[in-house]
Amino acid sequence: MFRRDRMLNELQQDIAEHLERETEDNIARGMSPEEARQAARRKFGNVGRVMEDTRGVWIASWCDALFQDLRFAFRMLRKNPGFAIVAVLTLALGIGANTAIFSVVYSVLLKPLPFPDADRLLFVFDRLGQQSGAETGISFRNLESLREHNSVFAAMAGAQQHQLTLVGYGDPLEVDTAVVTADFFSVFQQRPLAGRLFLPDDSKAGAPATVILSENLWRSALHADPAILGKSLNLDKHDYTVIGVLPASFHFPKVRPANQIWIPLPQDPLFGPFMKFSGGHWLPVTARLKPGVSLAQAQAEMDTLTAELVRELPAENTGWFVRVRPLQQVLVGDVRTALLVLLAAVGLVLLIACANIANLLLSRATSRAREMAVRAALGAGRGRIIRQLLSETTVLGLFGALAGILLGEWGVRVLAGLLPESFPRLNAIHVDYLVLGFALLLSALASVAFGLAPAFLVAGSNPNANLREGGARSGQSAAGRRARSIFAAAEVAIAVVLLVAAGLLLRSFSKLTAVQPGFEADHVLQALISLPRFQYNTPRQWTAFCDELLTRVQAQPGLRDSALVAPTPISEGFINLGFDVVGDPVSSAATSRNADYVSISPNYFQVMAIPLLAGRFFDGRDAASRPPVTIISSALARQYFPNQNPLGKQLIFANAPYPSVPHEIVGVVGDVRDVNLGDDPKPMMYASMAQEPLPGALVVSRTTLDVAGATAAIRQQVAAIDKDLPVTDVFTMTGVLSDSVAEPRFRTLLLALFAAMALVLAAIGIFGVISYSVSRRTQEIGIRMALGASRNAILQLVSRETLGLVGAGLAVGIPAALAASRLLGHLLFGVSASDPLTLAAVSGTLVAVAAFAAYLPTRRATRVDPLVALRHE
Amino acid sequence: MSTKEDRERIELLQGTLDLLILRTLVRGPAHGHAIAKAIEFNSEDVLQVEQGSLYPALHRLIKRRWIAVEAGTSENNRRAKFYRLTAAGRRQLSIETSKWDKLAGAIGRILRPAE
Repeated sequence: MFRRDRMLNELQQDIAEHLERETEDNIARGMSPEEARQAARRKFGNVGRVMEDTRGVWIASWCDALFQDLRFAFRMLRKNPGFAIVAVLTLALGIGANTAIFSVVYSVLLKPLPFPDADRLLFVFDRLGQQSGAETGISFRNLESLREHNSVFAAMAGAQQHQLTLVGYGDPLEVDTAVVTADFFSVFQQRPLAGRLFLPDDSKAGAPATVILSENLWRSALHADPAILGKSLNLDKHDYTVIGVLPASFHFPKVRPANQIWIPLPQDPLFGPFMKFSGGHWLPVTARLKPGVSLAQAQAEMDTLTAELVRELPAENTGWFVRVRPLQQVLVGDVRTALLVLLAAVGLVLLIACANIANLLLSRATSRAREMAVRAALGAGRGRIIRQLLSETTVLGLFGALAGILLGEWGVRVLAGLLPESFPRLNAIHVDYLVLGFALLLSALASVAFGLAPAFLVAGSNPNANLREGGARSGQSAAGRRARSIFAAAEVAIAVVLLVAAGLLLRSFSKLTAVQPGFEADHVLQALISLPRFQYNTPRQWTAFCDELLTRVQAQPGLRDSALVAPTPISEGFINLGFDVVGDPVSSAATSRNADYVSISPNYFQVMAIPLLAGRFFDGRDAASRPPVTIISSALARQYFPNQNPLGKQLIFANAPYPSVPHEIVGVVGDVRDVNLGDDPKPMMYASMAQEPLPGALVVSRTTLDVAGATAAIRQQVAAIDKDLPVTDVFTMTGVLSDSVAEPRFRTLLLALFAAMALVLAAIGIFGVISYSVSRRTQEIGIRMALGASRNAILQLVSRETLGLVGAGLAVGIPAALAASRLLGHLLFGVSASDPLTLAAVSGTLVAVAAFAAYLPTRRATRVDPLVALRHE
Repeated sequence: MSTKEDRERIELLQGTLDLLILRTLVRGPAHGHAIAKAIEFNSEDVLQVEQGSLYPALHRLIKRRWIAVEAGTSENNRRAKFYRLTAAGRRQLSIETSKWDKLAGAIGRILRPAE
């Protein structure tokens, strides 16, 4: 380029000098200066056009060559449409899958959270145990202590969430309520769409009740009322003054935009009273690091403050450790491993696709060796030929990328639809420019990668030899044959890795869904009714409501087997409480006792078909006026009463909504998976709802009615008691179980899909190599048959080559798969990373698929007519 | 149609002019005007071309790296740009010359078959 610019800059001067010399010559011949100048100009011609032509020489240079290459590449591909279509489709599949998965990975894992300086946001939690243990929220008292004494956070705030009932705007509406401490919006640094955010005064005792609305709620339920600020909303039968509206882009702690409100913690009927407890682990805390403070520094400070907390309140804090983790990491959670595994898997699929195309190109290159030899003989340089071949693969790559991006765009939409509702940052997932750039880069790398090998192979071969050899047999260089076999074997090896991973996940998933939840899910449905705390504010009222509701529901046809429970199995809403055993005080923090607390109506176990192992169920005896009783789960009995009879022992629940009185254990029941099918059942203790009611409950019914019919019946009974009470969250138990494994199902499905793609591509690769080999050896096979070789012998000859490819692939693939499957880590459930059954099934599948892929060419080999074969060529 | 014919004629002309420039430079580096004079002289004015068409041809040859440019001073001590044949140019000249000879020979045989 520089050379060109310099040459063109000097051109005018060159021409001027030229004219001057010609003029001098003319003067020497005796012309007058004027005549001489004119003659020189005449002889030179049009200066402007000369300059234009000269410039054209340079401009045409690289543009023209490029267009020529591309035009030629198009022509070559059009002449061989089968090849072009297979190559473009293969590449499109690889790039499309990669674009789609990378879109999800980018949106979920890599893209910063939509908050200012989101990398400085941390999640602060309590952990029972120094090294590992359950992560929980922290108590309000501890939050206040940490907030005052730390020097690493710019702001620190707690946020709990539940639902309140909004009345006065159409039907009663359950709104997602974030209950936040004073500094919440300093942590997230938000600006309101209208009005103001919370000030410290809003969280003071005795402050008027205030609420901030989400744009969603404001637009939907409140019809975008422009005069909403200052109006009051009736939430759980209590008035809150609207002070602000937040844009829909902010929805923390919800993971996606919702009908949401934010209220100060002291104003919350449910969690507000918790503020006065000195213990408990109920408040999730987020914090913003000061600029320049590292995560390690923050953790070190928390360690110091933890020691302080233990000194202040040893009973509540001994054994607990305050930990910090980046907010993004916490929000993304377990999905990270699954996504990275999927990303690696699609990367491998793309590799196989490239190997396949390289194989196609190699076969084509060898059959075009003569053409290339002619070109070389006519003066095309090695570089020129490589450029020509590369431009062909670039055209393929571009078409592949285009088709791949379309496929990826479609794939992302399908993926987003398949993803479970609870998937983190689901609404952020889409294809954006960065992802498009990724796809283009991928296709450029891929086209160079799969174009380079054949290009060098052809350019490096000896043109003379190629010219001498016959057309069909030309270019059968040993290097080309070896390269093709290596590519095919590598495809098999990669397919092995993917198939093993997919096999392990499939086995895990089948084990996971085979887990007995501990109750009978069939024909059971649940419906949530929560009671407005301000109207129903005494346990007596709750009991009265619950009794009436249960009596009414049970009186309905088909709903006789109904019970009340709070909360239900397989939910995130479990209440984990510490407890003491009367007469057996805890000796140290390490042995502190915890169990999940559930309040139930007497017939709950019968409705859910949870077996009684010892003692008795609750019954009419366990009324409010009688001594408190409890029923424990088998896990609790095993863990805390080993080799003892737990019946008759007394438990005291810590921090329970009820006074810390002894509860006598009257029964032991079977374990229930409380949070997740994949987690071992935790210890559980059940209280009698008559003795310890909660403000609201779930109706669980074993019924043959359909969901709509049962819901209508329950809703009718609830409305008969109080027309302002909404019935929400109606699910069948089987649906709840199925939803709880949505994420494992999603990743298993995808990995299985990718493994299937890999298998098909590898099969195409084997087919290509074997059929090429057979056509190349037609003559040899003909001679063998003419000399008396049987069909069987020919079959063995070809099969040996197929098995050689598969064998080599398995030899490399199995160890690679064993190494790779260790990375699956916690994605595996109930199956070891080196599960022999999976390995055997994968090996068997590959041999079978290879035999199938090689079937047609092998059959062709055994049907060779010796006479025809010998005349071949 | 006419454009195609034009292009062919220009191409023939270009090829010939390129060959003549390379041939001229065999005797040593020369500046543009000198090359034009030499071509005029050697072809005995048969191949009369406008001197200006020399420059696109020179640039084409530079681009193909068959000739190179170097600064120098001319006979009367003036700054001038000298064009010099490169090794690649020398090779090209022999290829072109033999091609030309073959073509000329073939044409000759067709035109005078008796010989």
